[in-house]
Formats: sequence, C-alpha cells, structure tokens
Amino acid sequence: MPPIARTYIKTAFAYFVSAFVLGALMMLDRWLGFSRWLRVVYLSQLHLLVVGWITQLAIGVAYWMFPRFLKEQDRRPRGSDALAWAVYACLNIGLLLRFLVEPFYLMGPKPWLAATMALSGVLQALAAVGFGLLIWDRIRAMEP
Amino acid sequence: MPATSRAFVKASILYLCSGAILGALLLINRWVPLGSAIPALRVPHIQALIVGWLTQLILGVAWWLFPPLKIGLRPGETRPVRRGQQQRGNEPLFWATFVCLNAGILLQVVGAPLYSWTRIDLFNVLASISGLFLLAAAIAFVLNMWGRVRALGRGK
Repeated sequence: MPPIARTYIKTAFAYFVSAFVLGALMMLDRWLGFSRWLRVVYLSQLHLLVVGWITQLAIGVAYWMFPRFLKEQDRRPRGSDALAWAVYACLNIGLLLRFLVEPFYLMGPKPWLAATMALSGVLQALAAVGFGLLIWDRIRAMEP
Repeated sequence: MPATSRAFVKASILYLCSGAILGALLLINRWVPLGSAIPALRVPHIQALIVGWLTQLILGVAWWLFPPLKIGLRPGETRPVRRGQQQRGNEPLFWATFVCLNAGILLQVVGAPLYSWTRIDLFNVLASISGLFLLAAAIAFVLNMWGRVRALGRGK
C-alpha cells in the first residue's frame, strides 16, 4: 500500500474513533450535562463520520486499489502525488475547520465564524473535485 | 474493472463533486446570503453524498471485486454454464440497478428543491416516487449479489 493511501486510511481510523468518542460524550451529556458545546456539536460529529471516516476511507482505498496507469500513459502509476497530498490537505483542513468552528457558530453566529465555515466548505469541495481529477482516468478496464 | 462498475464509479465521483459543491454553497450562504433558494439544497446535498457517492461507489466496487461465480461446467458438456461477465451475475439486471438508482437520486435531487421553490405539485410527486426507484435498485442489487455471497459460504 503506498504511503499516501496509508495516511488516508490511518486518518480515517482516527476520525472513526474520535467521532464515536464524541458520540459517547453526547449521549452521556443527556444524562450528566457536561457542556453546552456537546449539545450543538451533532452536525460536526455527523460530518466527522461521513466525510472524515467513510469518504476518506473510500478515497484512500480507491487511490490504492483502482487500476494503475501503464508506464506509457504516466510514469507515476497512481497519478500525481502532489495532487493526492493536496486533496488530503484540503479535505482535512476543511473538515477540521468546520469541526472547530461550527459549534461556536451555532451558539452565537458571528461573521468571522461564518466566513471560516464558508472557507471550510470551499476546501472540502476543492478536495472532492481534486479527487475526481486524480482518479478519473484510472477508472478503466484492467489489462488482460 | 468491468464497464458496469466503471459507470457506477464514474457516476459516484460526479455525485461526490456536486454534493460537495452544494455543501459549500450551503456554508457560504451562512456568511454571504446567496438567496432564499439556497437552504432547499440541503436535501440534494445529503442525497448526492450518501446515496449518489457512497452507496453507488460501494455497489460498483462490490460488483467488480467480489469473487466471481464458478464457470460451472456440466458433466459431459464442454460449453460452460456461465463465463466472462456472467460470472459476476446478471449483467442486464445490474444495468437496471444503475438506471433505477440514478433515476431515484436525480428525481429526489431535482424534484425536492424545485417543489420547495415553485410549490408545483408535479415536482412533489416526482420527489415522492424517487424512493420507489431506490427501493427497486436495492432489491435488484441484492438479488444479483446474493448468489455470489452464498457461493463464498459454500467454498469453505
């Protein structure tokens, strides 16, 4: 497995555990009332699971397992490493920005918080488009 | 990767991009109001990412990578019961899954916001029947893959 795919998959595992820790705290909060923050973090927790865990795992595994380029097509068997790292950076910076900012936005909207969340959305959209560009030509028939 | 799986995977990547762009629009709208129409994009955003991207990617990759059915030579016959793509199951049924799944997604993605914006009943009807297409896709996929999963148990 190439290092980039390992990084995607390890990061996905980290989000998986973190999201479940957060989910457990959210459930305990209903009983013990830890913090107001835990009552507004549900959307962020959902995105940790859907984007950070499932989507990131799918991207990592696709990057690893989809048919590689032939040497005549591209000397890099899985395409541009720089683009793969850029997708990783955009996805995770975008997701973490949202996770850090959204609960505070929901507790008291402020323009700079809204701007940061908009930036997080743009970064995640860039990651999606970047992944599409990275993987599109590798969706092809295998050689006999 | 077979042509069927390629169609599923390429469609799933288009939904990933469109779903993420819709999500970005929803977040930008909290900062710079883009119009009262934007909040109605929440349903297409969720549908595109959960069904269009993740579910469709899983179906396409499962069809590609699950162990194929055995060729199945009958005693005394030289012509195999199944070969090539038939070892993956019923290919026309898998194409029908693709059509139903994407018809269901598109009806929901287009119908729900259009109804929200225009209040024209036709769009509500289209969004409502999308679930039936998705159900048909799910049943067709499970019927097709059941034999391949069952054959794995027999091999043990």
